[in-house]
Amino acid sequence: MRKNLLLVLALVFIIAFSGVVMAQEEDEITLTIAAGAVGQEKATAEEAAAMYMERNPGVNVEILDTPDLANDRYGLYLQFLEAESSKVDIYQIDVIWPGELAEHFLDLYDYGAKEVVDKHFQAIVQNNTVDGKLIALPWFTDAGLLYYRTDLLEKYDREVPKTWDELEETARYIMEEERAAGNEDFYGYVWQGNAYEGLTCDALEWIYSNGGGKIVSDDKKITINNDKAIEIIDQAAGWVGGISPAGVTGMGEEDARSMWEAGNALFMRNWPYAYALGNEEGKPTAGNFDVSPLPAGDSGSSAGTLGGWNLAVSKYSEHPEEAAKLAMFMAGEEVQKLRAVEATLNPTIKSLYEDEDVLEAAPFFGSLYDVFTNAVARPSTATAPKYNQVSEQFFQAVHSVLTGESDARSAIEYLELDLMDTTGFETGEPTQP
Amino acid sequence: MAISSSSNLAKEEQKLAFKLLLPAFLILIIIALYPLGQVFYTSFTNREFASSTKTEFVGLDNYQALLSFTVKELDPIIDQETGEQAVDEETGEKQFQRPIRVLPRDPHLYRPAFEFSFFGNKYVVGARTPDFIRSVWNTLVFTFFSVFFETLLGLIVALVVNSEFKGRGAMRAVMLVPWAVITVVSARMWEWMFEPTRAGLFNMLGDRFGLIDGSYSFLSSANLQLPAIIAVDVWKTTPFMALLILAGLQLIPNELYEAAEVDGASKFRQFFNITLPLLKPSLAVALIFRTLDALRVFDVFQVMLSQKRYSMASFNYFQLISARKMGMASAIGVIIFIIIFAFAILYMKSLGVDTE
Repeated sequence: MRKNLLLVLALVFIIAFSGVVMAQEEDEITLTIAAGAVGQEKATAEEAAAMYMERNPGVNVEILDTPDLANDRYGLYLQFLEAESSKVDIYQIDVIWPGELAEHFLDLYDYGAKEVVDKHFQAIVQNNTVDGKLIALPWFTDAGLLYYRTDLLEKYDREVPKTWDELEETARYIMEEERAAGNEDFYGYVWQGNAYEGLTCDALEWIYSNGGGKIVSDDKKITINNDKAIEIIDQAAGWVGGISPAGVTGMGEEDARSMWEAGNALFMRNWPYAYALGNEEGKPTAGNFDVSPLPAGDSGSSAGTLGGWNLAVSKYSEHPEEAAKLAMFMAGEEVQKLRAVEATLNPTIKSLYEDEDVLEAAPFFGSLYDVFTNAVARPSTATAPKYNQVSEQFFQAVHSVLTGESDARSAIEYLELDLMDTTGFETGEPTQP
Repeated sequence: MAISSSSNLAKEEQKLAFKLLLPAFLILIIIALYPLGQVFYTSFTNREFASSTKTEFVGLDNYQALLSFTVKELDPIIDQETGEQAVDEETGEKQFQRPIRVLPRDPHLYRPAFEFSFFGNKYVVGARTPDFIRSVWNTLVFTFFSVFFETLLGLIVALVVNSEFKGRGAMRAVMLVPWAVITVVSARMWEWMFEPTRAGLFNMLGDRFGLIDGSYSFLSSANLQLPAIIAVDVWKTTPFMALLILAGLQLIPNELYEAAEVDGASKFRQFFNITLPLLKPSLAVALIFRTLDALRVFDVFQVMLSQKRYSMASFNYFQLISARKMGMASAIGVIIFIIIFAFAILYMKSLGVDTE
């Protein structure tokens, strides 16, 4: 009996004590943002968080480090969301996810976002609106760019390539010359060839610029099986082990960037974030490179895939009001400017593209404005909520061609059948830029 | 009287034993049986992960999608001019129709898993989920080779550290370092060593000694992926194997060797007639441990190959969190469970492990 009494007492203590702890915590709330850590993303997010905490005593903002590869991040988020976890209040979500994840997020129009949305690019706001609800605020936008070494092009008297053929030719020539001059690790072109979402972006750029369409068109037709698409995928497969290292089929953004920044590549396909990093003092690329739109294929026009990330507030947050307020601050003018200047993350607020400080830090924001506003979107809206499966089937098919496991025609024919199976759509003619 | 009191005592003891076992049993139900049952149940549904989509009961559909396969003959391509089978001009190989022409598409799409030749005819094995079939194959190959090398090397290491020499204690501790490193960390480490340029250790060494040209992509070319992964696992798990075998070695009484010495048995003979037979029970335990462990390999595959090549467990993971097919992923889980279970039984039977 006495033992039981002791047990009960202990239990009472535990419960009472935890009550006290909880009561204490209520004075200061903690908000967690699951944010990217590619390049300077995390550092600048933390800087912004510190600013917010200074102005809002009683709010503690934590930045949760998430994986670099978008697919891994998606997996992590799904685990939080399946568990309806309140551990994360704000999620940084990819531009392709709103359709799939909408049910887990709050409608930000209920929290005063109406007043700010007009400042942002309308296309992205549209993208983030699901059934009339604004489920995420645009944070930064992205488009694929061609990075090139100005010093080397000048040295060998070459122009910035306008077509894929030119790129191939220039890359091969300068690569051979540089190697002969002693840099044996030099390559012509690095890009994202690993089997993940990044390859979908890269391959979409090749195909769309070559007149091969957008995999699935906006009016829900599967358009991937055409000669133009097969031709350019074959051409890209020819780069592997030639102007690009054989290991490019295992590279993500950061792998390509590290090779580029070591001075071992003439061209790189990457997002704008690599601009500020490449110019950091002491790096061989500092001051020796510039960016241009990606080369064009047979269609005659260049295509950069639309990327970018948005801030969504979890439905399972314990402090939705405060979280929404924080999200508005993070996506607001001040923070976007800070991140544009320090980390060359493209703002989604139109007026910032005319801001002097921003243009000084990243002149190409002004000169390549059209690239950002005309970027080609992945077929996430047309295929929602199955986009992730569609993209996976696509990048696996392209990857099998790049590694030589399959020929382009068979891979694309099977991809077409797979996509019909997954989406239930009919086939159609590719959309032209 | 005496008898009844003793049986009363036995009953009391049984009751007590039951009471004492009850908590453990309850915990087992909560943490093992309930989740397992849940997985079995989910595998018969089309549940979507992290979604409010309505879940429906689909019977054996998931299992059918995973396991259905078909074998079709590929017809030779006949050259119109000569009337004989066409031959590829570059490779000199006889040409056959592509699998996409012969594999069924309705009501389900079958994709080629692999092709094989038999008496001059060529066949293709088509499956509805060829990635799964391949992942099973990858896992079996991985298990066979990694366990084989780990046992062999582990035995050698154990024999070495079991012999008397100076600094044996330190040696035994050092030996365990690879085992102590977290798998994800060691996988990342190896990933750097496998870098496809000369920044990677292996490419640098190969290039330095003129063996390879310094641009081998170990982790993205199909022929090198499995050997690379097996190497990582062997490096990591050999110490564990050595430890288990070492424990077995220390159970063998020294007198046996002394007696053998007196009888003039060579070291070689001693090993095969004394060491190996007496080591069999611990070797069997070690083998079971490692095989079952290797069959559910996940971390090395996930970190180093991610979606480039799957093991059963990493395929399961990507079905769940990338394709969000929770029902399908559960079905894969059940199949993995059955495969591992079959292996466990097979081992116990063939190695004569005493289960009592």
